[in-house]
Amino acid sequence: MERRDGLALEVDRLEKVFRERGAREVRAVDGISFRVAPGEVVGLLGPNGAGKTTTIKCILGLVQPTSGRVTIFGRDLASHYPGILSQVSAVLEGSRNLYWRMTVWENIEFFTGIHGLPRRQHLRYFDHLVERFGLAEKRNVEVRKLSQGMKQKTAVVCALAKRTPLVFLDEPTLGLDVETSYELRETLKDLAREENRTVVLSSHDMDVVQDVCQRVIIMAAGRVVADDSIEHLMGLFRTKAYRLALRGPAPDELEASLAARFPGLELQRSAYLTQIRLRLPEPDDIYTLMDLLRDAGATIEGLSQEEPDLEKVFLEIVRKERENQCNSHTP
Amino acid sequence: MQLAHALTAVIRRNITMMKRYLFNTVSALVSIYIVFCLAFFGLKAFAAVSASGALDGTFEGAIVGFFVWTLAIFGYSSASWDLINEAQTGTLEQLYLSPAGFKWICTFSLVVDFLVNMVAAVAFLFAMMATTGRWLNLDVVSIAPLIIVTVLGAYGTGFALGGLALVFKRIQAFFQVIQFAFVGCLVVPSRIPWAKLLPLTTGNALIYRVMAEGKRLWELPAADVLAALAVGVAYLAAGLAIFSACERAAKARGLLGHY
Repeated sequence: MERRDGLALEVDRLEKVFRERGAREVRAVDGISFRVAPGEVVGLLGPNGAGKTTTIKCILGLVQPTSGRVTIFGRDLASHYPGILSQVSAVLEGSRNLYWRMTVWENIEFFTGIHGLPRRQHLRYFDHLVERFGLAEKRNVEVRKLSQGMKQKTAVVCALAKRTPLVFLDEPTLGLDVETSYELRETLKDLAREENRTVVLSSHDMDVVQDVCQRVIIMAAGRVVADDSIEHLMGLFRTKAYRLALRGPAPDELEASLAARFPGLELQRSAYLTQIRLRLPEPDDIYTLMDLLRDAGATIEGLSQEEPDLEKVFLEIVRKERENQCNSHTP
Repeated sequence: MQLAHALTAVIRRNITMMKRYLFNTVSALVSIYIVFCLAFFGLKAFAAVSASGALDGTFEGAIVGFFVWTLAIFGYSSASWDLINEAQTGTLEQLYLSPAGFKWICTFSLVVDFLVNMVAAVAFLFAMMATTGRWLNLDVVSIAPLIIVTVLGAYGTGFALGGLALVFKRIQAFFQVIQFAFVGCLVVPSRIPWAKLLPLTTGNALIYRVMAEGKRLWELPAADVLAALAVGVAYLAAGLAIFSACERAAKARGLLGHY
């Protein structure tokens, strides 16, 4: 995939206000700005109603923004519409983006055809995608006869087959079982890396975003509340909490000595195992812990640091945003 | 070149879908044929008891009327129902993502459908002529331009309603009313001055004169031909204007993907 200089996508103070007669106005997108570099894989996260889909549709020209500017590979969307869409493809509603009475292959040929791709020149690539996504045996089967997972994959293939440098995936794993979702995101990850495509992926599935994306933009109530690399966000939320498993039920004296040294300790006993959760904020705390355990004659079965996952990070960020909003509205 | 690839893709899709929904297509033609037979045999029975011969020429008028009505319904459906179906199936937004522009994709689809529908309508015409034993003049050079001019009004109406459906969604019941309104346009005598402003009316009368009376295109009153053209173009232009306004409203309200 050809690498382009400059930004792949620039969204500048994008706003979308829905006004219905007799109803209050709804600020679905409230002046958001962000940039995506070529080759980046960015996740767009947010609770329901955060404005993710509206943002994507504004970028694609499917919803008319109230104000703001969108630039795709340096070209203004409004001035170059619809020609600028040659740079973009999207999965919007998954299996609903397909003609169910047409086969997998017929759908690919149609959507790439209306995108202006000469069919014969890209047949090999279409074959490659169909194989890659495990659809080779189903290429001549009507979409309506496929499982939900295969329909979803077909929708993704139809978008990727257009060979656009910028791809939007809105809930690509919606309705998929765990195994199919895992398969899909592994394939997406590999393809994004191999073909150096710029991908904007919107999903509720944190595993998908955490696995596939390098960076995440978190939206809430139409605003961007966080825009950072996943690694950095996770680092901010790393709590230095540890989980410890000891053989057998721990004696009361050990619990008392640990609780005195490490406030906020949580301990659960069973006949075979004692599970402890505690914070070790200082670098030397691990040595202190080992000394206490050795003095008590405890046998360690397991020790691990608690890693925050994106779901916890997301929930915490959204919770804080909601609190801030409530505080700002409170007189 | 981009447009050429888009046109090829649309041709393939429309033909594929016509084959996949063949039963539906054939059923539509059969049902129109049944309605025609009911009308024809009803008229025939009435003519048998009428000694005045007042219904002479009515059978030819009925054939021409049904033929034009069939083409009008096909054209109107292409511009309205097909759009609604795309919105309901969820593919409409994908069509709007074509860099060729939705208007081109839509135009290609309508042209392809028109050509395919002509084949079906001509087959239906022959079925009617065979049923009635009334063989009409099929001067293609004269009929083809008149057909195009006549169905412009149906396409315009279809565009207007398709656009309204994008915004207001469930107005399919009104679509049925329009089909019957077309029947009204075809039975109104074209000699009534205000009837010239209706879609299909003048065009239908001109096609009748060619098919039933054997006139050539250049033998028809120029004023009537121009009137039919002007009315057709006006309805098409109005329909496209309404569609464009509705399309803007649908995008402003984020309704393209709704159904």
